Amino acid sequence: MFLKKIFDYGKKEERVIENIKQHLELLCNACDSFHKAMEESDKNLVREVVESERQGDSIRREIIANIYAGAFLPYLRPDLCRFAEIVDRVFDSLQETAFSYLEVKLPEHIRDECVRVAFLNARMCEMLVISFDAMLNGEDLREKTLAIRIYEKKIDDIKFTIVKDLRQIPVDDFWQGRILAEFVSGLTSISDTMEDASDHLQIIGVSMKS
Amino acid sequence: MKIDEFMTTRIASIDGDRSVYDAIEKMVDRRIRSLLVKFTGRDSDHGVITARDVVFKVLAKGINPTDIKVSSIAARPIVCVDREVTLAEAATLMEKSHIARLFVCEGEKIIGVASLLDIMSASLIMRARGENVP
Repeated sequence: MFLKKIFDYGKKEERVIENIKQHLELLCNACDSFHKAMEESDKNLVREVVESERQGDSIRREIIANIYAGAFLPYLRPDLCRFAEIVDRVFDSLQETAFSYLEVKLPEHIRDECVRVAFLNARMCEMLVISFDAMLNGEDLREKTLAIRIYEKKIDDIKFTIVKDLRQIPVDDFWQGRILAEFVSGLTSISDTMEDASDHLQIIGVSMKS
Repeated sequence: MKIDEFMTTRIASIDGDRSVYDAIEKMVDRRIRSLLVKFTGRDSDHGVITARDVVFKVLAKGINPTDIKVSSIAARPIVCVDREVTLAEAATLMEKSHIARLFVCEGEKIIGVASLLDIMSASLIMRARGENVP
């Protein structure tokens, strides 16, 4: 393993890496649950997203505590903590979007596009896990970050069409419109934060090599 | 990777009776390079008009786009494939048929479209995943 070659790869580091992997896998499970909730119109699955967010919070605290307890060289610690915090922001956005989903009256003609965004978010998360593993192996992350940017661009294009359609949708009152707008905005911004996480991963990869 | 994973599901369309000017307006407004063409009274009959058709068949010939109907320059019939078609199969079919986009159909319903750019993007994603890229 790349880190093992460069650092005195002790138990603390091993624990942090395991926790980061767990954090990312949990995020992917949450994205999958949310996609399934939307695809099958099963709002009960939203509970799994909320539960994952809670577990994710606890893992993030553990990652940061272990890092500041002495895992890794000091110059790497802020970047690793920042990465864990960005992943946590993805959890937060996903949870907020899931809560909006419980409230929203989703118009039928934008439903399929919204399900597609949830699907692409889940695929993007898988790519983040692949990127993290590649970074640990000391691989070049260029192809992985490009794939993440492609997903993000695809979601951006879908957002453009959804927002265009949204303007034509009549709403009964202020709150119905606001919840719908918040839902779409939340759903389509999850990928932005995942892209930030991927960019940060690349920075960590570069610092580890230098 | 199957075509339904990388296709675009929102397909902009235009009636064949509309002018090419209307088509240009729609393509520029939506930042897209093609439109599905619907012909009046024939629900299952579709064509496609691309930016290339507009430039080569109308603008380059000095024809006023408001004077010509979409139906007169649209290519038809469209090429439809099943959603289970793979990236490699899609690329081969596009190469053999000399076309830049494939429509994905379920029965008579068009559920998506995959362009050359979609194929290239999908191939990059496959590489990043460590899958075999044709």
